[in-house]
Amino acid sequence: MPFIKKPRTLKPLGAVSIGTGERAVKIGGGNTLPLYFFDAKLSNPPAVGVELTDTAWDAAELPLLAKAYEGAATLAERVACAANMKGVDFVCLRLEGADPGGDNLSVEECVKLAQEAAAACTKPLCIAGCRSEEKDVELFKALAAALQGQNVLFLSAKEEDYKTIGAATVLAYGHKVAGESSVDINLAKQLNVLMTQLGIPKESIVMNLGGAAVGYGFEYVSSTMDRVKAAALEQDDAMLQMPVITQVATETWAVKESMASQADMPEWGDLEQRGIQMETVTAAACLASGSDAVILRHPVAVDKIAALVAALI
Amino acid sequence: MGKFVMIGERIHCISPAIRDAMATRNPEPILKRAKEQLDAGAIYLDVNIGPAETGGEDLMKWAVKLLQDNFDNVPLSLDTANKKAIEAGISVYNRTKGKPIINSADAGDRIENIDLAAANDAIVLSLCSKAGVPSNNEERMTYCQGMLERGMSLGMEGEDLWFDPLFLVIKGMQEKQIEMLEFIRMVSEMGLNTTGGVSNASNGMPKDVRPIMNSTLVAMAIMSGLSSAIVNPCEKRMNETIRSCDIIRNNTLYADSYLEI
Repeated sequence: MPFIKKPRTLKPLGAVSIGTGERAVKIGGGNTLPLYFFDAKLSNPPAVGVELTDTAWDAAELPLLAKAYEGAATLAERVACAANMKGVDFVCLRLEGADPGGDNLSVEECVKLAQEAAAACTKPLCIAGCRSEEKDVELFKALAAALQGQNVLFLSAKEEDYKTIGAATVLAYGHKVAGESSVDINLAKQLNVLMTQLGIPKESIVMNLGGAAVGYGFEYVSSTMDRVKAAALEQDDAMLQMPVITQVATETWAVKESMASQADMPEWGDLEQRGIQMETVTAAACLASGSDAVILRHPVAVDKIAALVAALI
Repeated sequence: MGKFVMIGERIHCISPAIRDAMATRNPEPILKRAKEQLDAGAIYLDVNIGPAETGGEDLMKWAVKLLQDNFDNVPLSLDTANKKAIEAGISVYNRTKGKPIINSADAGDRIENIDLAAANDAIVLSLCSKAGVPSNNEERMTYCQGMLERGMSLGMEGEDLWFDPLFLVIKGMQEKQIEMLEFIRMVSEMGLNTTGGVSNASNGMPKDVRPIMNSTLVAMAIMSGLSSAIVNPCEKRMNETIRSCDIIRNNTLYADSYLEI
Protein backbone atom coordinates (compact mmCIF):
# COMPACT_ATOMS: atom_id res chain seq x y z
CA MET A 1 0.00 0.00 0.00
CA PRO A 2 1.49 3.38 -0.90
CA PHE A 3 2.21 5.87 1.84
CA ILE A 4 -0.29 8.66 1.60
CA LYS A 5 0.80 11.90 3.17
CA LYS A 6 -2.06 13.19 5.26
CA PRO A 7 -0.95 16.28 7.17
CA ARG A 8 -2.90 17.22 10.23
CA THR A 9 -3.71 20.79 11.11
CA LEU A 10 -3.58 21.45 14.83
CA LYS A 11 -3.85 24.67 16.76
CA PRO A 12 -0.48 26.37 17.35
CA LEU A 13 0.83 26.13 20.90
CA GLY A 14 2.00 29.10 22.91
CA ALA A 15 5.38 30.68 22.22
CA VAL A 16 7.55 32.50 24.74
CA SER A 17 9.97 35.19 23.68
CA ILE A 18 13.20 35.82 25.60
CA GLY A 19 15.69 38.62 25.11
CA THR A 20 14.95 41.93 23.47
CA GLY A 21 14.92 43.55 20.06
CA GLU A 22 16.58 41.80 17.15
CA ARG A 23 18.34 39.41 19.53
CA ALA A 24 15.10 38.01 20.94
CA VAL A 25 14.43 34.30 20.51
CA LYS A 26 11.01 32.70 20.40
CA ILE A 27 10.66 29.31 21.99
CA GLY A 28 7.78 26.98 21.12
CA GLY A 29 4.72 28.00 19.16
CA GLY A 30 4.59 24.98 16.87
CA ASN A 31 1.46 23.14 15.82
CA THR A 32 2.92 19.72 15.11
CA LEU A 33 4.02 16.76 17.16
CA PRO A 34 7.77 16.87 17.88
CA LEU A 35 9.81 17.06 14.66
CA TYR A 36 6.72 16.41 12.50
CA PHE A 37 7.88 19.21 10.25
CA PHE A 38 6.14 17.51 7.33
CA ASP A 39 2.74 18.27 8.90
CA ALA A 40 3.19 22.02 8.97
CA LYS A 41 5.86 24.61 8.48
CA LEU A 42 7.56 25.29 11.78
CA SER A 43 7.41 28.86 12.96
CA ASN A 44 10.20 28.62 15.54
CA PRO A 45 12.84 25.90 15.23
CA PRO A 46 13.95 24.31 18.52
CA ALA A 47 16.35 26.70 20.25
CA VAL A 48 19.81 25.68 21.42
CA GLY A 49 21.27 27.28 24.52
CA VAL A 50 24.76 27.02 25.94
CA GLU A 51 25.30 27.04 29.67
CA LEU A 52 28.20 28.30 31.72
CA THR A 53 28.65 29.03 35.38
CA ASP A 54 30.11 31.97 37.23
CA THR A 55 32.76 29.53 38.42
CA ALA A 56 34.73 28.43 35.36
CA TRP A 57 34.50 24.82 34.10
CA ASP A 58 37.05 22.33 35.28
CA ALA A 59 38.34 21.56 31.80
CA ALA A 60 41.34 19.45 32.80
CA GLU A 61 40.43 16.57 30.49
CA LEU A 62 38.27 18.63 28.12
CA PRO A 63 40.69 20.38 25.76
CA LEU A 64 38.03 21.30 23.19
CA LEU A 65 35.89 22.95 25.85
CA ALA A 66 38.93 24.73 27.25
CA LYS A 67 39.84 25.96 23.76
CA ALA A 68 36.38 27.44 23.23
CA TYR A 69 36.93 29.71 26.23
CA GLU A 70 40.63 30.28 25.64
CA GLY A 71 41.82 33.70 26.66
CA ALA A 72 38.57 34.55 28.46
CA ALA A 73 39.63 35.52 31.97
CA THR A 74 36.49 37.12 33.39
CA LEU A 75 32.92 35.92 33.48
CA ALA A 76 31.96 38.67 31.04
CA GLU A 77 34.58 37.46 28.59
CA ARG A 78 33.45 33.86 28.93
CA VAL A 79 29.83 34.89 28.38
CA ALA A 80 30.88 36.73 25.24
CA CYS A 81 32.65 33.58 24.02
CA ALA A 82 29.58 31.47 24.77
CA ALA A 83 27.24 33.87 22.95
CA ASN A 84 29.45 33.77 19.86
CA MET A 85 29.71 29.99 19.67
CA LYS A 86 28.44 28.46 16.45
CA GLY A 87 24.79 27.41 16.70
CA VAL A 88 23.97 29.19 19.96
CA ASP A 89 20.53 30.83 20.22
CA PHE A 90 20.73 31.83 23.88
CA VAL A 91 23.05 31.70 26.88
CA CYS A 92 22.24 30.16 30.24
CA LEU A 93 24.22 31.47 33.18
CA ARG A 94 24.16 29.24 36.24
CA LEU A 95 25.15 31.05 39.41
CA GLU A 96 26.80 28.14 41.15
CA GLY A 97 29.01 30.42 43.20
CA ALA A 98 25.96 31.44 45.20
CA ASP A 99 25.67 27.95 46.68
CA PRO A 100 25.77 28.23 50.50
CA GLY A 101 27.55 24.87 50.53
CA GLY A 102 30.18 26.19 48.10
CA ASP A 103 31.59 29.66 47.51
CA ASN A 104 28.50 31.20 49.09
CA LEU A 105 28.77 34.48 47.16
CA SER A 106 26.47 37.17 48.48
CA VAL A 107 23.39 38.24 46.54
CA GLU A 108 25.12 41.57 45.82
CA GLU A 109 28.16 39.83 44.37
CA CYS A 110 25.93 37.67 42.18
CA VAL A 111 23.98 40.69 40.96
CA LYS A 112 27.23 42.35 39.96
CA LEU A 113 28.36 39.21 38.11
CA ALA A 114 25.02 38.83 36.35
CA GLN A 115 25.04 42.47 35.26
CA GLU A 116 28.52 42.11 33.82
CA ALA A 117 27.45 38.91 32.10
CA ALA A 118 24.30 40.50 30.69
CA ALA A 119 26.26 43.47 29.38
CA ALA A 120 28.67 41.17 27.56
CA CYS A 121 25.99 38.80 26.23
CA THR A 122 24.94 39.33 22.63
CA LYS A 123 22.22 36.64 22.84
CA PRO A 124 19.13 36.32 25.05
CA LEU A 125 19.95 35.35 28.60
CA CYS A 126 18.58 32.68 30.82
CA ILE A 127 19.57 32.55 34.48
CA ALA A 128 19.63 29.47 36.67
CA GLY A 129 20.29 29.49 40.39
CA CYS A 130 22.52 27.38 42.58
CA ARG A 131 19.75 24.93 43.52
CA SER A 132 19.59 26.07 47.11
CA GLU A 133 15.90 26.94 47.38
CA GLU A 134 16.29 29.72 49.92
CA LYS A 135 19.25 31.31 48.22
CA ASP A 136 17.69 31.11 44.76
CA VAL A 137 14.58 32.96 45.88
CA GLU A 138 16.71 35.82 47.26
CA LEU A 139 18.93 35.72 44.21
CA PHE A 140 16.09 35.80 41.68
CA LYS A 141 14.37 38.69 43.47
CA ALA A 142 17.51 40.82 43.28
CA LEU A 143 18.45 39.72 39.76
CA ALA A 144 14.97 40.39 38.37
CA ALA A 145 15.23 43.99 39.56
CA ALA A 146 18.82 44.44 38.40
CA LEU A 147 18.12 43.03 34.93
CA GLN A 148 14.83 44.84 34.39
CA GLY A 149 13.98 45.32 30.73
CA GLN A 150 16.21 42.50 29.49
CA ASN A 151 13.47 39.87 29.31
CA VAL A 152 15.46 37.14 31.03
CA LEU A 153 14.21 33.59 31.51
CA PHE A 154 14.60 32.39 35.10
CA LEU A 155 15.15 28.69 35.80
CA SER A 156 13.17 27.64 37.71
CA ALA A 157 10.15 28.10 39.96
CA LYS A 158 8.98 25.04 41.87
CA GLU A 159 5.78 24.15 43.68
CA GLU A 160 7.32 25.42 46.94
CA ASP A 161 8.46 28.81 45.68
CA TYR A 162 6.44 29.64 42.54
CA LYS A 163 4.60 32.45 44.32
CA THR A 164 7.69 34.36 45.36
CA ILE A 165 9.69 33.66 42.22
CA GLY A 166 6.73 34.19 39.88
CA ALA A 167 5.81 37.48 41.53
CA ALA A 168 9.40 38.75 41.66
CA THR A 169 10.44 37.85 38.13
CA VAL A 170 7.32 38.09 35.95
CA LEU A 171 4.76 40.18 37.80
CA ALA A 172 7.19 42.79 39.14
CA TYR A 173 9.74 43.02 36.31
CA GLY A 174 8.20 41.39 33.23
CA HIS A 175 10.75 38.60 32.86
CA LYS A 176 9.92 34.99 31.95
CA VAL A 177 9.87 32.01 34.29
CA ALA A 178 10.15 28.26 33.93
CA GLY A 179 8.09 25.96 36.14
CA GLU A 180 10.11 22.95 37.23
CA SER A 181 8.27 19.68 37.74
CA SER A 182 10.93 16.92 37.88
CA VAL A 183 9.35 14.44 35.47
CA ASP A 184 5.90 14.63 37.09
CA ILE A 185 3.34 15.36 34.42
CA ASN A 186 0.50 16.14 36.82
CA LEU A 187 2.70 18.54 38.72
CA ALA A 188 3.73 20.17 35.45
CA LYS A 189 0.11 20.97 34.71
CA GLN A 190 -0.61 21.95 38.30
CA LEU A 191 2.28 24.44 38.36
CA ASN A 192 0.96 26.07 35.21
CA VAL A 193 -2.49 26.30 36.76
CA LEU A 194 -1.11 27.80 39.96
CA MET A 195 1.12 30.31 38.18
CA THR A 196 -1.72 31.32 35.88
CA GLN A 197 -4.01 31.76 38.88
CA LEU A 198 -1.33 34.00 40.36
CA GLY A 199 -1.81 36.27 37.35
CA ILE A 200 1.24 35.22 35.34
CA PRO A 201 0.34 35.29 31.64
CA LYS A 202 0.68 32.01 29.76
CA GLU A 203 3.05 33.77 27.37
CA SER A 204 5.53 34.20 30.23
CA ILE A 205 5.70 30.57 31.34
CA VAL A 206 8.04 27.86 30.07
CA MET A 207 7.88 24.27 31.29
CA ASN A 208 11.02 22.73 32.71
CA LEU A 209 9.74 19.17 32.83
CA GLY A 210 13.00 17.77 34.16
CA GLY A 211 15.49 15.57 32.38
CA ALA A 212 17.76 12.56 32.51
CA ALA A 213 20.76 11.38 30.57
CA VAL A 214 20.03 8.58 28.11
CA GLY A 215 20.38 5.31 29.95
CA TYR A 216 19.45 6.94 33.25
CA GLY A 217 15.66 6.75 33.19
CA PHE A 218 15.30 8.81 30.04
CA GLU A 219 12.21 6.81 29.10
CA TYR A 220 10.34 8.56 31.92
CA VAL A 221 11.34 11.94 30.53
CA SER A 222 10.39 10.89 27.04
CA SER A 223 6.98 9.51 27.99
CA THR A 224 6.27 12.61 30.08
CA MET A 225 7.06 14.88 27.16
CA ASP A 226 5.02 12.72 24.79
CA ARG A 227 2.01 12.97 27.08
CA VAL A 228 2.42 16.74 27.50
CA LYS A 229 2.54 17.31 23.75
CA ALA A 230 -0.39 14.97 23.15
CA ALA A 231 -2.51 16.79 25.75
CA ALA A 232 -1.46 20.18 24.41
CA LEU A 233 -2.17 19.41 20.79
CA GLU A 234 -4.82 16.74 20.73
CA GLN A 235 -6.80 17.56 23.89
CA ASP A 236 -6.31 21.31 23.44
CA ASP A 237 -5.23 21.54 27.09
CA ALA A 238 -4.40 25.21 27.61
CA MET A 239 -2.51 24.39 30.81
CA LEU A 240 0.05 22.31 28.92
CA GLN A 241 0.59 24.45 25.85
CA MET A 242 3.62 26.31 27.16
CA PRO A 243 6.97 25.57 25.51
CA VAL A 244 9.29 22.94 26.99
CA ILE A 245 12.90 23.70 27.95
CA THR A 246 15.29 20.93 28.96
CA GLN A 247 18.54 21.28 30.87
CA VAL A 248 20.42 18.53 29.10
CA ALA A 249 23.95 19.39 30.21
CA THR A 250 23.33 19.26 33.95
CA GLU A 251 22.11 15.67 33.49
CA THR A 252 24.59 14.30 30.99
CA TRP A 253 27.76 15.77 32.51
CA ALA A 254 26.86 14.24 35.88
CA VAL A 255 26.95 10.58 34.81
CA LYS A 256 29.99 8.33 34.93
CA GLU A 257 30.30 8.09 31.14
CA SER A 258 31.00 11.82 31.05
CA MET A 259 33.07 11.98 34.24
CA ALA A 260 35.30 8.93 34.59
CA SER A 261 38.78 9.81 33.36
CA GLN A 262 40.46 7.86 30.65
CA ALA A 263 43.13 6.86 33.16
CA ASP A 264 40.45 5.09 35.24
CA MET A 265 38.57 3.72 32.26
CA PRO A 266 41.03 3.20 29.43
CA GLU A 267 38.64 0.87 27.59
CA TRP A 268 36.06 3.67 27.35
CA GLY A 269 38.37 5.93 25.38
CA ASP A 270 38.61 9.69 25.36
CA LEU A 271 36.60 11.38 28.12
CA GLU A 272 35.69 14.49 26.18
CA GLN A 273 34.37 12.52 23.20
CA ARG A 274 32.25 10.42 25.57
CA GLY A 275 30.81 13.52 27.20
CA ILE A 276 30.02 15.12 23.86
CA GLN A 277 28.29 11.95 22.70
CA MET A 278 26.17 11.63 25.85
CA GLU A 279 25.16 15.25 25.54
CA THR A 280 24.43 15.12 21.82
CA VAL A 281 22.46 11.89 21.94
CA THR A 282 20.40 13.00 24.92
CA ALA A 283 19.66 16.38 23.35
CA ALA A 284 18.57 14.78 20.08
CA ALA A 285 16.29 12.42 22.01
CA CYS A 286 14.82 15.39 23.90
CA LEU A 287 14.06 17.20 20.64
CA ALA A 288 12.38 14.07 19.29
CA SER A 289 10.27 13.88 22.45
CA GLY A 290 9.13 17.49 22.45
CA SER A 291 11.72 19.89 23.89
CA ASP A 292 11.35 23.32 22.33
CA ALA A 293 14.73 24.39 23.73
CA VAL A 294 17.70 22.43 25.02
CA ILE A 295 20.54 23.73 27.17
CA LEU A 296 23.93 22.18 26.44
CA ARG A 297 27.45 22.78 27.69
CA HIS A 298 29.98 21.59 25.13
CA PRO A 299 30.53 23.71 21.99
CA VAL A 300 30.83 20.59 19.82
CA ALA A 301 27.47 19.29 21.07
CA VAL A 302 25.91 22.71 20.53
CA ASP A 303 27.20 22.79 16.98
CA LYS A 304 26.00 19.26 16.24
CA ILE A 305 22.51 19.82 17.62
CA ALA A 306 22.15 23.17 15.86
CA ALA A 307 23.20 21.45 12.64
CA LEU A 308 20.69 18.66 13.26
CA VAL A 309 17.89 21.21 13.72
CA ALA A 310 18.95 23.10 10.61
CA ALA A 311 19.06 19.89 8.58
CA LEU A 312 15.60 18.83 9.74
CA ILE A 313 13.69 22.01 9.03
CA MET B 1 -14.03 9.77 22.80
CA GLY B 2 -13.07 13.38 23.43
CA LYS B 3 -13.74 15.65 26.36
CA PHE B 4 -17.33 15.67 27.56
CA VAL B 5 -19.31 18.51 26.03
CA MET B 6 -21.29 20.45 28.61
CA ILE B 7 -24.10 22.42 26.96
CA GLY B 8 -25.13 25.12 29.42
CA GLU B 9 -28.91 25.25 29.80
CA ARG B 10 -29.38 28.45 31.76
CA ILE B 11 -30.30 30.86 28.95
CA HIS B 12 -33.88 29.70 28.89
CA CYS B 13 -37.00 31.77 28.42
CA ILE B 14 -38.79 29.87 31.19
CA SER B 15 -36.69 31.91 33.59
CA PRO B 16 -38.52 35.19 34.20
CA ALA B 17 -35.28 37.19 34.19
CA ILE B 18 -34.28 35.80 30.80
CA ARG B 19 -37.79 36.11 29.37
CA ASP B 20 -37.86 39.79 30.31
CA ALA B 21 -34.38 40.33 28.98
CA MET B 22 -35.34 38.76 25.67
CA ALA B 23 -38.57 40.77 25.45
CA THR B 24 -36.86 44.08 26.18
CA ARG B 25 -33.55 43.20 24.45
CA ASN B 26 -31.72 43.80 27.69
CA PRO B 27 -28.28 42.20 27.31
CA GLU B 28 -27.19 42.27 30.93
CA PRO B 29 -29.02 39.24 32.47
CA ILE B 30 -28.20 37.08 29.44
CA LEU B 31 -24.51 38.02 29.44
CA LYS B 32 -24.33 37.40 33.17
CA ARG B 33 -25.67 33.86 32.85
CA ALA B 34 -23.50 33.19 29.83
CA LYS B 35 -20.39 34.25 31.70
CA GLU B 36 -21.26 32.18 34.75
CA GLN B 37 -21.74 29.09 32.63
CA LEU B 38 -18.58 29.59 30.58
CA ASP B 39 -16.55 30.24 33.72
CA ALA B 40 -17.92 26.97 35.06
CA GLY B 41 -16.67 25.10 32.00
CA ALA B 42 -19.61 25.04 29.57
CA ILE B 43 -18.42 24.42 26.01
CA TYR B 44 -21.70 25.20 24.22
CA LEU B 45 -24.43 27.53 25.43
CA ASP B 46 -28.04 26.65 24.75
CA VAL B 47 -30.19 29.61 23.71
CA ASN B 48 -33.81 28.74 24.33
CA ILE B 49 -36.18 31.41 23.06
CA GLY B 50 -39.29 29.25 23.46
CA PRO B 51 -41.82 28.77 20.62
CA ALA B 52 -41.16 32.38 19.53
CA GLU B 53 -43.92 32.35 16.96
CA THR B 54 -43.74 36.10 16.46
CA GLY B 55 -40.47 37.97 16.25
CA GLY B 56 -38.42 34.81 16.75
CA GLU B 57 -36.11 35.56 13.84
CA ASP B 58 -35.06 38.95 15.12
CA LEU B 59 -34.75 37.65 18.67
CA MET B 60 -32.51 34.71 17.70
CA LYS B 61 -30.29 36.93 15.54
CA TRP B 62 -29.96 39.38 18.41
CA ALA B 63 -29.13 36.66 20.93
CA VAL B 64 -26.57 34.94 18.66
CA LYS B 65 -24.77 38.19 17.92
CA LEU B 66 -24.92 39.32 21.53
CA LEU B 67 -23.36 36.11 22.87
CA GLN B 68 -20.79 35.58 20.13
CA ASP B 69 -19.65 39.22 20.14
CA ASN B 70 -19.17 39.20 23.90
CA PHE B 71 -17.68 35.74 24.33
CA ASP B 72 -15.22 35.21 21.49
CA ASN B 73 -17.64 33.44 19.13
CA VAL B 74 -18.79 30.93 21.75
CA PRO B 75 -20.49 28.00 20.02
CA LEU B 76 -24.26 27.93 20.55
CA SER B 77 -27.16 25.55 20.54
CA LEU B 78 -30.21 27.22 19.00
CA ASP B 79 -33.25 26.01 20.84
CA THR B 80 -36.72 26.85 19.53
CA ALA B 81 -39.62 25.25 17.72
CA ASN B 82 -39.51 28.11 15.20
CA LYS B 83 -37.47 26.89 12.23
CA LYS B 84 -37.26 30.32 10.66
CA ALA B 85 -35.75 31.62 13.88
CA ILE B 86 -33.09 28.88 13.77
CA GLU B 87 -32.27 29.75 10.16
CA ALA B 88 -32.06 33.43 11.07
CA GLY B 89 -29.74 32.61 13.98
CA ILE B 90 -27.48 30.53 11.74
CA SER B 91 -27.37 33.34 9.16
CA VAL B 92 -25.45 35.50 11.63
CA TYR B 93 -23.59 32.66 13.39
CA ASN B 94 -19.78 32.59 13.42
CA ARG B 95 -18.56 28.98 13.34
CA THR B 96 -14.86 29.48 14.09
CA LYS B 97 -15.29 27.89 17.55
CA GLY B 98 -17.73 25.17 16.51
CA LYS B 99 -20.72 24.41 14.32
CA PRO B 100 -24.14 25.60 15.50
CA ILE B 101 -26.33 23.00 17.18
CA ILE B 102 -30.00 22.77 16.25
CA ASN B 103 -32.02 21.82 19.31
CA SER B 104 -33.78 19.65 18.35
CA ALA B 105 -35.15 17.09 15.91
CA ASP B 106 -37.11 13.92 16.61
CA ALA B 107 -38.49 11.04 14.59
CA GLY B 108 -41.92 12.66 14.51
CA ASP B 109 -43.12 16.20 13.82
CA ARG B 110 -39.66 17.69 14.14
CA ILE B 111 -37.85 15.39 11.71
CA GLU B 112 -37.41 18.22 9.24
CA ASN B 113 -34.95 19.85 11.59
CA ILE B 114 -32.50 17.23 10.32
CA ASP B 115 -32.98 18.65 6.82
CA LEU B 116 -32.38 22.09 8.26
CA ALA B 117 -29.13 20.92 9.87
CA ALA B 118 -28.00 19.27 6.62
CA ALA B 119 -28.75 22.43 4.64
CA ASN B 120 -26.80 24.57 7.10
CA ASP B 121 -23.88 22.26 8.01
CA ALA B 122 -25.07 22.21 11.61
CA ILE B 123 -25.12 19.64 14.40
CA VAL B 124 -28.58 18.42 15.30
CA LEU B 125 -29.73 17.01 18.63
CA SER B 126 -31.86 14.04 17.57
CA LEU B 127 -34.36 12.78 20.07
CA CYS B 128 -34.97 9.06 19.69
CA SER B 129 -38.73 9.29 20.06
CA LYS B 130 -41.70 9.98 17.85
CA ALA B 131 -44.62 10.78 20.10
CA GLY B 132 -44.17 10.27 23.80
CA VAL B 133 -41.85 7.88 25.52
CA PRO B 134 -40.36 5.06 23.39
CA SER B 135 -41.47 1.75 24.83
CA ASN B 136 -38.14 -0.04 24.46
CA ASN B 137 -34.69 0.15 22.90
CA GLU B 138 -35.84 -1.52 19.73
CA GLU B 139 -38.14 1.40 19.15
CA ARG B 140 -35.41 3.88 20.09
CA MET B 141 -33.00 2.23 17.67
CA THR B 142 -35.53 2.32 14.84
CA TYR B 143 -35.85 6.09 15.30
CA CYS B 144 -32.11 6.51 15.68
CA GLN B 145 -31.34 4.68 12.45
CA GLY B 146 -34.15 6.43 10.58
CA MET B 147 -32.77 9.84 11.58
CA LEU B 148 -29.19 8.78 10.86
CA GLU B 149 -30.12 7.58 7.38
CA ARG B 150 -32.04 10.74 6.68
CA GLY B 151 -29.14 12.93 7.76
CA MET B 152 -26.56 10.94 5.84
CA SER B 153 -28.66 10.80 2.70
CA LEU B 154 -28.66 14.60 2.85
CA GLY B 155 -24.86 14.63 3.10
CA MET B 156 -24.42 14.96 6.86
CA GLU B 157 -21.61 13.26 8.76
CA GLY B 158 -22.90 10.72 11.28
CA GLU B 159 -20.98 12.51 14.02
CA ASP B 160 -23.14 15.61 13.55
CA LEU B 161 -26.29 13.88 14.71
CA TRP B 162 -26.15 13.78 18.51
CA PHE B 163 -28.67 11.20 19.68
CA ASP B 164 -30.76 11.81 22.76
CA PRO B 165 -32.07 8.58 24.32
CA LEU B 166 -34.70 10.63 26.15
CA PHE B 167 -33.81 10.75 29.82
CA LEU B 168 -36.85 9.64 31.77
CA VAL B 169 -38.02 10.79 35.14
CA ILE B 170 -36.74 8.34 37.73
CA LYS B 171 -39.63 8.82 40.10
CA GLY B 172 -42.25 6.72 38.35
CA MET B 173 -39.98 5.16 35.72
CA GLN B 174 -37.27 3.54 37.79
CA GLU B 175 -37.51 0.31 35.81
CA LYS B 176 -36.68 2.16 32.56
CA GLN B 177 -33.34 3.67 33.59
CA ILE B 178 -30.93 0.82 32.92
CA GLU B 179 -32.48 0.19 29.53
CA MET B 180 -31.96 3.85 28.65
CA LEU B 181 -28.31 3.59 29.71
CA GLU B 182 -27.93 0.47 27.59
CA PHE B 183 -29.22 2.42 24.62
CA ILE B 184 -26.52 5.04 25.15
CA ARG B 185 -23.98 2.25 25.04
CA MET B 186 -25.44 0.82 21.82
CA VAL B 187 -25.32 4.20 20.07
CA SER B 188 -21.87 4.95 21.43
CA GLU B 189 -20.59 1.59 20.18
CA MET B 190 -21.81 2.56 16.72
CA GLY B 191 -19.30 5.43 16.98
CA LEU B 192 -22.00 8.08 17.29
CA ASN B 193 -22.41 10.97 19.69
CA THR B 194 -25.05 11.11 22.37
CA THR B 195 -26.59 13.83 24.50
CA GLY B 196 -29.63 14.58 26.61
CA GLY B 197 -31.30 16.68 29.24
CA VAL B 198 -30.12 14.85 32.32
CA SER B 199 -31.95 16.92 34.90
CA ASN B 200 -35.33 15.70 33.62
CA ALA B 201 -34.57 12.50 35.47
CA SER B 202 -34.91 14.08 38.89
CA ASN B 203 -38.14 15.94 38.26
CA GLY B 204 -40.44 15.83 41.21
CA MET B 205 -37.70 15.11 43.72
CA PRO B 206 -36.79 17.40 46.64
CA LYS B 207 -34.44 20.21 45.74
CA ASP B 208 -31.58 18.88 47.84
CA VAL B 209 -31.84 15.41 46.31
CA ARG B 210 -31.90 16.48 42.64
CA PRO B 211 -28.20 17.32 42.25
CA ILE B 212 -27.24 13.99 43.81
CA MET B 213 -29.50 12.05 41.49
CA ASN B 214 -28.53 14.08 38.39
CA SER B 215 -24.80 13.78 38.95
CA THR B 216 -24.94 10.07 39.72
CA LEU B 217 -26.99 9.46 36.60
CA VAL B 218 -24.63 11.51 34.46
CA ALA B 219 -21.66 9.50 35.74
CA MET B 220 -23.42 6.24 34.90
CA ALA B 221 -24.39 7.61 31.49
CA ILE B 222 -20.82 8.73 30.78
CA MET B 223 -19.66 5.24 31.69
CA SER B 224 -22.12 4.01 29.07
CA GLY B 225 -20.61 6.37 26.51
CA LEU B 226 -22.61 9.60 26.82
CA SER B 227 -20.57 12.28 25.00
CA SER B 228 -22.46 15.43 25.96
CA ALA B 229 -25.38 16.69 28.01
CA ILE B 230 -27.52 19.73 28.44
CA VAL B 231 -26.90 20.64 32.05
CA ASN B 232 -26.55 23.49 34.48
CA PRO B 233 -22.74 23.79 34.63
CA CYS B 234 -23.02 26.10 37.63
CA GLU B 235 -24.50 23.28 39.70
CA LYS B 236 -21.49 22.28 41.75
CA ARG B 237 -22.06 18.58 42.16
CA MET B 238 -22.87 18.07 38.48
CA ASN B 239 -19.84 20.09 37.46
CA GLU B 240 -17.50 18.20 39.78
CA THR B 241 -18.85 14.87 38.58
CA ILE B 242 -18.39 15.66 34.89
CA ARG B 243 -14.86 16.99 35.44
CA SER B 244 -13.95 13.93 37.49
CA CYS B 245 -15.35 11.62 34.82
CA ASP B 246 -13.20 13.40 32.22
CA ILE B 247 -10.16 12.70 34.39
CA ILE B 248 -11.01 9.04 34.95
CA ARG B 249 -11.69 8.55 31.24
CA ASN B 250 -8.32 10.22 30.49
CA ASN B 251 -9.97 12.94 28.45
CA THR B 252 -8.07 15.59 30.40
CA LEU B 253 -4.81 15.29 32.24
CA TYR B 254 -5.08 15.34 36.03
CA ALA B 255 -3.74 18.26 38.07
CA ASP B 256 -4.57 18.91 41.74
CA SER B 257 -6.59 21.99 40.73
CA TYR B 258 -8.58 20.17 38.02
CA LEU B 259 -11.89 21.37 39.48
CA GLU B 260 -10.84 25.01 39.12
CA ILE B 261 -9.87 25.10 35.46
